[in-house]
Amino acid sequence: MDILFTAVSLVLLAGVLPLLSYRWFRFFKTVHITALTAGCLTGLYGLYTVWQQQDVPLFSYPWLHAFTLSFSLDSLSTVFLLPVFLVSPLIALYGYHYLNKAEDCWRVAVSHFFFSLLIVAMILVTLAANMVTFALAWELMSLSSYFLVMYDYEKEETQAADYLYLLFTQTGALCIFAAFAVISTSTGSLSFAQIEQIPHGIKLVAFFLAFIGFGSKAGIFPLHIWLPHAHPAAPSHVSALLSGVMIKMGIYGILRMYLLLDDPTPIFPQTVLVCGMVTGVLGVVYALGKRDLKRLLAYSSIENIGVILIGAGLGMLGISSGNRIMAAFGFAGCLLHVFNHALFKPLLFMGAGVILHKTGTRHIDQLGGLMKTLPVTGRTFLTGSVAISGLPPLNGFISEFLIYYAAFLGLGLQGSSFLLSMFAIISLAIIGGLAAGCFTKVVGLVFLGEARSKKGQNLVESGRTMQAAMILLALACLLIGIWPEPLIHLAFCGLRDFIPLAGVSPVVLGDIPHNLTLTARLFLGLLLVTAALRHLLYRSKPISRSSTWGCGFSQPTSRMQYTGTSYAMSMVDFFRPFVKVRTEYSGISKIFPRWTGYAHKIEDIAEIALHRALVRPLLWALGKLRWIQHGHIQLYIGYIILTIAVLLLVV
Amino acid sequence: MESFISLAIALLIAPLFPGIILKVKALFAGKKGPPLLIKYFTLAKLLRKGSVYSTSTTFVFLLGPIVACAAAVMALLFFPFAGVPPLLSFQGDVIVLFYILGVGRFFTIAAALDTASPFEGMGAAREAFFSTLAEATIFVVLIFFYRLNGSLSLATYFFGSQAISLAGPHGALLLLVIVSLFMILLTENSRVPVDDPATHLELTMIHEVMILDHSGPDLALIELGSFYKLFFYAAFISCLIKPLTLTDPVANTLLFYGLMTVVYVAIGVTESITARLKMNLVPKYILTSFALGFFALILTLELV
Repeated sequence: MDILFTAVSLVLLAGVLPLLSYRWFRFFKTVHITALTAGCLTGLYGLYTVWQQQDVPLFSYPWLHAFTLSFSLDSLSTVFLLPVFLVSPLIALYGYHYLNKAEDCWRVAVSHFFFSLLIVAMILVTLAANMVTFALAWELMSLSSYFLVMYDYEKEETQAADYLYLLFTQTGALCIFAAFAVISTSTGSLSFAQIEQIPHGIKLVAFFLAFIGFGSKAGIFPLHIWLPHAHPAAPSHVSALLSGVMIKMGIYGILRMYLLLDDPTPIFPQTVLVCGMVTGVLGVVYALGKRDLKRLLAYSSIENIGVILIGAGLGMLGISSGNRIMAAFGFAGCLLHVFNHALFKPLLFMGAGVILHKTGTRHIDQLGGLMKTLPVTGRTFLTGSVAISGLPPLNGFISEFLIYYAAFLGLGLQGSSFLLSMFAIISLAIIGGLAAGCFTKVVGLVFLGEARSKKGQNLVESGRTMQAAMILLALACLLIGIWPEPLIHLAFCGLRDFIPLAGVSPVVLGDIPHNLTLTARLFLGLLLVTAALRHLLYRSKPISRSSTWGCGFSQPTSRMQYTGTSYAMSMVDFFRPFVKVRTEYSGISKIFPRWTGYAHKIEDIAEIALHRALVRPLLWALGKLRWIQHGHIQLYIGYIILTIAVLLLVV
Repeated sequence: MESFISLAIALLIAPLFPGIILKVKALFAGKKGPPLLIKYFTLAKLLRKGSVYSTSTTFVFLLGPIVACAAAVMALLFFPFAGVPPLLSFQGDVIVLFYILGVGRFFTIAAALDTASPFEGMGAAREAFFSTLAEATIFVVLIFFYRLNGSLSLATYFFGSQAISLAGPHGALLLLVIVSLFMILLTENSRVPVDDPATHLELTMIHEVMILDHSGPDLALIELGSFYKLFFYAAFISCLIKPLTLTDPVANTLLFYGLMTVVYVAIGVTESITARLKMNLVPKYILTSFALGFFALILTLELV
């Protein structure tokens, strides 16, 4: 535990030093990365030492005489801390060349400070062992991420998006604190102990409140609205950190709450599963429909949260029905997907950041052919895309496989559990197919083909540190894909402090990772053999280059390429009315038509519904109360005195 | 050893069967048709040639054929041809297998988009959409098999006391699933009524248009991959319709390839007597196969 606190202080130091030395631009960036990496490596070492011991270390510290701050490191915290410690230094490394405007040195230094603060907050959230600590860490996390997104604060778009994020995160926090309040009035203490003894009804209330609160952080449909707004507004390395690591804290919260409540009621898994399926399928459908690259990636994060929740739901279903093997596979798939997503999503956001830096646009239909000008970004982005589509031999497949396996085991159950498992499999299949469609679209339109506008021409590859970070993440994806055994075992042990795997035969748990490894390597080998064969076949054959066959048309332009909108149109249309598609077409009239226009827009139904059901009535009601705000300061003081007086009298 | 021999036979014989389809179609049209070994000749011709690459393409274009072919071969490694245990088999291999086929598709689509051709983009979009729907049907069929057999492995589907077979106790349900799988076979291998391998208009193609720019050995790899993929699906169906398992391995192999011929003839007949569907009807067609599989699945609820 002491090692971990050393790590926390190092990370914090990495944030404070840039503030003190903000005039030496390069110096403070180097110091930041060095200290952060040192902190994270120390943290990893700390995790390793704790993992070797069986008991859970505890640490508490009295604070303000009234509260105790307490921390503990159990297996669940360890599994969630792993991506924090592994991925954050890489993202910081990427940030070295990404934030390269020396004239903005103060702003960059502040951004570095909040970056460190966010990492510290996430570490504390996972370590927190009572409600006060958790609440403080949670708020620290929300606020530091709010300031991180605010990097381009003078842009109106950023302000609006960040305000939306703040609203969602604070409403979510409100729900979480309400859940804590409900629990603590029942147990009479603020500690996480003995929560499992509270009555069933209160457990239900607490779980659902917490689910909404954590769900809004994780991006569960329909609480995901802030994600696709905040990501395009934030700098890319911040998006990478938020999407890769921070939103997983929502998943951590849901799992933690579930384990604390320790109630085998089937309502919890049912809720989680249904939400997971809806989130997964709709997330990927919206991702397909989006043209803004970062918005697309944000929706893809929502989809992955859906997959993670399906895994968690299946695990919970296994617990409820007493099927230990299913529980082990479901939770392992969930935890492994959390880890895997923390690798490939930052990778993709980094790629998007490079594209934004180099071309100045995020619009997919204006890009194209970047593989030739940005080879490193292109290749790593391709790797990330295959991984996020859940295809072997990369890491995304491993976690999806475990979730599939849990779902198939669930088919042996009766009644609604059977139905849910069945729908989980079908939705995973659909998510897999659509995700592949979505990422072939991104890779195909952005990196392949020809540049669609002048913006995509004559580029030079990004800075060294950005390339290094992307290459490392891509290699990690491949490595886990072909050598998944250690991580699968780690994921199986992720809940060892709560749900003992004693009843599960080690043969089952050992066989599958072994076979997955074998298959992935065999497939990779077969690929190499085929490539070698192709090489042999082409020996001493004439190879020439010419333009693409345009079916006889000899003057093609790059504008004639298929666009992302048309690529995704039929797939998105299929999911109406869950997706609102608005097309505006002025039509062609007269013999010599003049100007005509066509616009195609995909709108989020959750956003529309929120606007109609909540925002509009709320604005109307608050409009009626506008007379309270009149600008007379003495009356405002009067309000305060009146409120205090009423509170003193009544409460 | 047996596994290797049966796999080798399958790999060598797979290009023969599409010739049967062509022969059946020719018969229906009252023509003599190409020789049965036509596909071998095509492969040999392609392998002799060189290639022309588009100036728009990158290494992804070269990866397409390699991955597609390797994925199809990989799928065959899991298959118990003629009752011989496959090289690879474990619980969950069916999921791995269909995802490996998915990798092949991913790179075929990427290679198509790499050419910057609007036609190839169109084909790619269709392929991505239809295969997503087909994937849902495939997993419904897998769920159905799990209900009947309790396993997730191709090898155990067709062996043991609970082997899935038309002659078994659930034959009636299996009929629905076989029809559904046959429809998926036609969809996934771009046959009529979903796609027409013999069409001449690029606008109406799906798979053929995606490989327009490939030539020479690259095209040979793609063709070989598509033969193997078709072979895999056909073998799946012929294992389901197999009435009995013979003890003599040679006779068993002959029976298996006899049934394979039946499946390919059925494809030929379907192609001869049905018209190509309009593109907007294809999703409905695939969803019909989904509904059939799902219906069979619902009926299994009564069994357990």
